[in-house]
Amino acid sequence: MEPIFQVEHLSLYYGEKQVLKDLNIEIKKNKITALIGPSGCGKSTFLRCLNRMNDLIENCRIEGNIYFEQDDLYHAKRDVVELRTKVGMVFQKPNPFPMSIFDNIAYGPRCQGIKKKQVLMEIVEQALKKAALWDEVKDRLQDSAMGLSGGQQQRLCIARAIAMEPEVILMDEPTSALDPIATAKIEELIEQLKKSYTIIIVTHSMQQASRVSDETAFFLLGEIVEFDATSNIFQHPKDKRTEDYITGRFG
Amino acid sequence: MIQRQRNKKRRWSDYICNGMTYGASAISAIVLAAILFFVFIKGASSIRWDLFVQDYWPSNYSITIETDKNKVGEFEVPTSLDEDAYFSKKWGIVLKDEKDGEESVVMTQIVPDSPFHYLLDQSVKNNISSFQWKEGLMLEKLDYVDKQGNTSMAGSLFMQNAEDIVKVLDEDVTQITSMYVKTKGGGIRGSIISTFYLLGISLLFALPIGVSAALYLHEYARKNKVCSWLRSMIEMLTGVPSILYGLMGVSVLFPVTQMFGATTTNLLLGGLTLAILLLPTIIRSTEEALRVIPQSLRDGSLSLGATSSQTIFKVVLPCAIPGILTGVLLSIGRVIGESAALIYTIGTFINDSPGLLTQGTSLAVHIWSMMNMEQPNFEMAAAISLIILAFVCLLNISMKILSKYWYRKWN
Repeated sequence: MEPIFQVEHLSLYYGEKQVLKDLNIEIKKNKITALIGPSGCGKSTFLRCLNRMNDLIENCRIEGNIYFEQDDLYHAKRDVVELRTKVGMVFQKPNPFPMSIFDNIAYGPRCQGIKKKQVLMEIVEQALKKAALWDEVKDRLQDSAMGLSGGQQQRLCIARAIAMEPEVILMDEPTSALDPIATAKIEELIEQLKKSYTIIIVTHSMQQASRVSDETAFFLLGEIVEFDATSNIFQHPKDKRTEDYITGRFG
Repeated sequence: MIQRQRNKKRRWSDYICNGMTYGASAISAIVLAAILFFVFIKGASSIRWDLFVQDYWPSNYSITIETDKNKVGEFEVPTSLDEDAYFSKKWGIVLKDEKDGEESVVMTQIVPDSPFHYLLDQSVKNNISSFQWKEGLMLEKLDYVDKQGNTSMAGSLFMQNAEDIVKVLDEDVTQITSMYVKTKGGGIRGSIISTFYLLGISLLFALPIGVSAALYLHEYARKNKVCSWLRSMIEMLTGVPSILYGLMGVSVLFPVTQMFGATTTNLLLGGLTLAILLLPTIIRSTEEALRVIPQSLRDGSLSLGATSSQTIFKVVLPCAIPGILTGVLLSIGRVIGESAALIYTIGTFINDSPGLLTQGTSLAVHIWSMMNMEQPNFEMAAAISLIILAFVCLLNISMKILSKYWYRKWN
């Protein structure tokens, strides 16, 4: 199968400091790829390279190549705004906009110039249904999104990303701010979404990685130590450091 | 033992430090209360509803009564008659002495069917128009025909008080030839209108420019030396004495208003000058509001494929509105309280019917004018101060409610 992301010799610097060191990885389509590793190992930074959110950070410099569907992601003529409609993102802390639930989800489509109420309503309903939130909020779409619980807010953020009909959803520790029940719901949802989207998830929880992902990459100090099918990583790690990490000897 | 002594020493220094803060806050509270008390004592008695609706300048009229109504009648004494008021039974009018500065006789009431319902204004020759009787008109002089058919005169001009005039009216007058009446004046209606003009003009210009500038500085501009230099220049502007803004207004902006046809200092000029004066305030409070908006909201918006402008105008700016409102509130307070920058730009002539390109005074400048007369009018100045205080207080409360409503709606 064609990889959706192909990363070749990727290095990233914040000023003088090298954060990512010569990464090579191929991410497969319609699979869930988990990125694990201790804090500060560069997994979130790597994730933000994939939809070019690092562009916003000053002094950030990138070497190497990333290909998204065979096209150079960092090509000078690449339309970043269009790219982000194809590669959505869910953040660590739920970050709904201070607007109504409806407006939150309609935000992306509206930015693309969709104005018809009918069309927007359809998009919102579909997105909320896919994010398993529809039944909980269908009666209060005009209420403020800030009134939802943390878990609901995070599912709203996922719905907001889905509303753009992206090909990839990047998730940056989407459950780290949530309680176990909300986490379980999100994991269930990720399982559901796998059918139609490629998902790349950064997680601190190794259990989560082993539960939801098909493939796992282990990051350490800005390098990818090991990248393999999740079962292999967790049952037969090839590298000593991976074994040490997943058995809890450090990290 | 040593430990205990140290504790004691420390306790004393604690007492002194605490005492200083208590003392300082007590002094400020007392001073503020004293100012309020002074203003209230001086001004409260002068605040009447008239003040808000009356002109400042008194106007004189020569009036008469329509010929077919100009005759003696018989009228019932009105039921609600003050003790110090006098009623003319034959003309149906209530007169009262008033000692507000100078002594005068005012008409306070007319009964139904009184001839005074049918007044004619003959101030302008060959153009007689009807004249509406108003409560509080001062009766200065009365020309009449007496029982013998001779013409005679009465009124406060001849040192007569209300009682005397009523006596003349009831015993002597058969027909009123003419009357000189004067409106009271001393009101602040014109200055209130001018103040609103200034508020409107200054916010109309300062708000969009200030908010846009803050957006540029905080959202678009690269964080480099030029930007921080620009920011500190803007902050420095808050420290410029406002009289300099006044000078700048009259020298730089006056030609601009001249293009619109201004011949004197005018309210447009004052408003524009104030707009410049407000810019640093608005820029600063808007920037403050933008600073506290979490980066995660911006990231969220950008990750959904919004451009940076869409992010700023659809997500960031609405979140900053409570902060911007604070800036507006501060600005309104500034506009209402400003006098130095305005004296050069709007003049100190109290205008009863101000317009965009005419002179006029804001309430603060009105105070300035009142205190700058030969006989400073402390009572009036204090009364206007009270009105300003009340207005600012009202504004504060309403803005609080507004931003709370905004907050509650989305949080």
